[in-house]
Amino acid sequence: MDKVKLNKYFERSLWVFHLNTGSCNGCDIEIVAGLTPRYDLERFGIKLVGSPKHADVLLVTGPVTSKMLDRVKRVYEQTPDPKAVIVVGACGTSGGVFYNSYNISGSVDKVIPVDVYVPGCPPRPEAIINGVLQAWIKLENLRESMKTAQAK
Amino acid sequence: MLGLLETGSGFWSAIIWVLLVLVIGSMVIYIRNKGEDSYKKNTEQDKPFISGNPEENKESSHLSANHIYWGFTEALKGYYNPLIKIHTGNINDYSGWIIVITVIILIMVGVSG
Repeated sequence: MDKVKLNKYFERSLWVFHLNTGSCNGCDIEIVAGLTPRYDLERFGIKLVGSPKHADVLLVTGPVTSKMLDRVKRVYEQTPDPKAVIVVGACGTSGGVFYNSYNISGSVDKVIPVDVYVPGCPPRPEAIINGVLQAWIKLENLRESMKTAQAK
Repeated sequence: MLGLLETGSGFWSAIIWVLLVLVIGSMVIYIRNKGEDSYKKNTEQDKPFISGNPEENKESSHLSANHIYWGFTEALKGYYNPLIKIHTGNINDYSGWIIVITVIILIMVGVSG
């Protein structure tokens, strides 16, 4: 990846809203690990926020349980545009061990559009950080295309 | 009326007050207009975030002042419950209470006097 291009993206901080749709907390612990001094994501301006209204990115963990179905849709709708969705873990990606379970509405992409998948059970913090980076690049491209569309 | 009023601990001027209101008001309007305006109106982006839960209607989400005293009334339930029972809303009951209390006071005054 072009270092100069990456540096351009790091000029702006990225706010992430973490949403657990039925995860066992394994992925959530790895997300928190990404914020600990070992990886220290916040030095790049990547931080977790308490409301989707402040977020650029939705970080979703777990398969979508029936109870969470409406809530996931609502949180997605409440996130301002442009937005990116990252799914962390095998369960959110495909249903994982809960695939076809009676109380699961399916993987996250059955409910909301997903931009980046980070598979693993749970994925390592490095993989999650890479996923966030991919989403960041996608988001910046989206921003630029929105800007050019507005200019036209 | 519009002059400077010395109060001893400061001063008051209606003109300065009006000017300040105008200046601060314009600053507030300016900052507000700088805010995000690209959100989609009349969608979920207009509504408050309540952990993904739907927004309740205003009537059912209303917090009345007595909610603040919930712990207080709960702790003093033994005192409040009989009091609430006594407050029947029937004027005859209240008149009865006045007569009974007056009789008791008169007896007490009569016995002690």
